[in-house]
Amino acid sequence: MRPELHFHAMGTTCSLFGDGDLLEGERWVRRIAARITRFDESSELCELNAAGGRWVEISRELEEMLRASLRAFELSHGLVNIAVLPSMLAIGYTRPLVAGPTAPALAEAHSAPYLHNVLQLRRGSARLAHSARIDLGGIAKGWMADRLSELLGGHVLVNLGGDLFARGEWPVGIAGETYLLRDVGVATSSTRKRRWGELHHVIDPRTGLPAASGVEEVSVVANTAFEAEVFAKTALIGGMLR
Amino acid sequence: MKDPRGFLLKVGATFLSLLATAVSAAYVSAHVKNPNAPLQPPVLSSSIRPADVQPVTTTYAS
Repeated sequence: MRPELHFHAMGTTCSLFGDGDLLEGERWVRRIAARITRFDESSELCELNAAGGRWVEISRELEEMLRASLRAFELSHGLVNIAVLPSMLAIGYTRPLVAGPTAPALAEAHSAPYLHNVLQLRRGSARLAHSARIDLGGIAKGWMADRLSELLGGHVLVNLGGDLFARGEWPVGIAGETYLLRDVGVATSSTRKRRWGELHHVIDPRTGLPAASGVEEVSVVANTAFEAEVFAKTALIGGMLR
Repeated sequence: MKDPRGFLLKVGATFLSLLATAVSAAYVSAHVKNPNAPLQPPVLSSSIRPADVQPVTTTYAS
């Protein structure tokens, strides 16, 4: 019987399979999730968002995720931009969706700033421009899946809400088919979930509104779950080449 | 020679042009790219293959 552990964190279902201390893995996920949630004013992320342009001391994990976010911005030519939080609030995603969205105020949605202009990092600290607000979203899940698979080591599969990393060989379902994956990451990005009415949670940073590229769902296999997440979201927002 | 200064400038310019050409040719000859290199390497082909078994988990949007 293969050891496995399922739990709820970051507003989604997380599953760990294989070797290593899976319970410690769950504790790690909960610890990091508590630091980066935007729904708890005492989290590191909320403190950074509320710092009013001042430098703020941050944990090594948040620093690494913010550096990954800057890289995601570059890899996606700006389509994956964590500074879309004001637009997410404007469309009514102001609290966990289990509590339901609030009334949208679409007039307040606006294009996101160039991330490098509003987010600065130093070793152990970060500064966010006074006017900017960030939400790590899927970037955090991808980064955490990669990192947790390293921490657990051995033959392990980490699935954090669909962003997963397979260390060793594992059969994984992707778009209705099963594939044997070895030492790769997978992510799926979709506008079908976290949707209410005409609105959904994937923001196009160019418009500040929910992405309307015509593509509804994208799954990507890449070297890491982080890269898979970035490329899936880029494709979802950018759409098909015409 | 009516304008020795102009002539010297022309000789100098010609010499510099030939020198730049020779140095460039030497550089590219010493840094030859493999013409058989693929435009894009195979991506993850050994890391993913279809399987006829039950998946332990699936990727999904959340």
